Amino acid sequence: MDGHDLDTSLEARLAAMEARAPGRDDPPRLDQRSRRGRFAVSFAMAPVLVLALVASAAAGTVVISRLTAEGHSGIENPGQPLEGAAMECMTGPEAQAFLAAHGYTDVVWQVESGSVLSADGGKGSSTTVQQASPPDHGYVIPGSVQDSGQLLMVVDQRVGATGVGACFGQPMP
Amino acid sequence: MTTTRSLRTLGTVRPLDATGSRGDPEAFEAAVRPHYVNLVRRLVLVLGNQHDAEDVAQDAYLKAFQAWDRFDGTDVRAWLYTIGLRLAFNQLRGRKRWQSALGRIESRPWSDPSDPDLWAAIRGLDARTRSALLLNVIDGYTHAEIAAMLEVPEGTVASWLSRGRAALRRELTRDEG
Repeated sequence: MDGHDLDTSLEARLAAMEARAPGRDDPPRLDQRSRRGRFAVSFAMAPVLVLALVASAAAGTVVISRLTAEGHSGIENPGQPLEGAAMECMTGPEAQAFLAAHGYTDVVWQVESGSVLSADGGKGSSTTVQQASPPDHGYVIPGSVQDSGQLLMVVDQRVGATGVGACFGQPMP
Repeated sequence: MTTTRSLRTLGTVRPLDATGSRGDPEAFEAAVRPHYVNLVRRLVLVLGNQHDAEDVAQDAYLKAFQAWDRFDGTDVRAWLYTIGLRLAFNQLRGRKRWQSALGRIESRPWSDPSDPDLWAAIRGLDARTRSALLLNVIDGYTHAEIAAMLEVPEGTVASWLSRGRAALRRELTRDEG
């Protein structure tokens, strides 16, 4: 296949492939604000969050010997205590109050700030800060209970962030 | 490249009226709805699965409606695709970021059993290169038009297209010996 053959066949093959791709011709109602629940479920199925540090000490010096990512079931996952809570649609303070009402008082809030994109359209940069209380501004990302018993929640404040789950694409709180 | 110049004239819509409005929701739907099914299909190729494509297409449609009065009225398909593709790129970034932080996120990939070699080659391209290639090869948009849609320099688009075509050529001729 030379370059010309590729160009001529590629257009037809790509167009045919796109025509075979599944499509829907029923756009959402224009007064619709909330998204389908399925998307929330797909995010809630997975959310798990953890960093497990395994450290060893030798000759009085503590050395972090291994950093392992492990899966903890997200608190909104099916079968988990807050299944379907949709905290991703709450503000940080609302989520904090909701968690407190359900007995979750040992919570660390990991705040991501910065931007999704750089000025030239490339990958942006962000800063991560963990704190004891949630910020007023940002998308809440439901997390999971750590080995320590502490609940880790994420708040995404980055410019260009989209939110997750049931509130993907909604205005940032 | 013979496709699309005639198709693109289908995308024109009514101009703003004296009140600065382009019309009611019915006018929006009449202009944008015909492009919705193809937006979903395009997003399936870009995102790699139907469910994410449908979600992003829904968002794009609603955002387009919110921005309807700011639309310049020239090419409604390009405008809708621009919104949809930018949302798709955001979603892919979010997916990658939170997959690494939160673990596996379920998604069922789409595949094309009718042309598996081409689909495998396309999937091997990053999403932006893939999008640019589709906009150029299927829709016939120029480098400058794609650059404006994807908010990147024209040279970047040229580079993506060059590398994308080279990658497809390499993959699609591999089995021919």
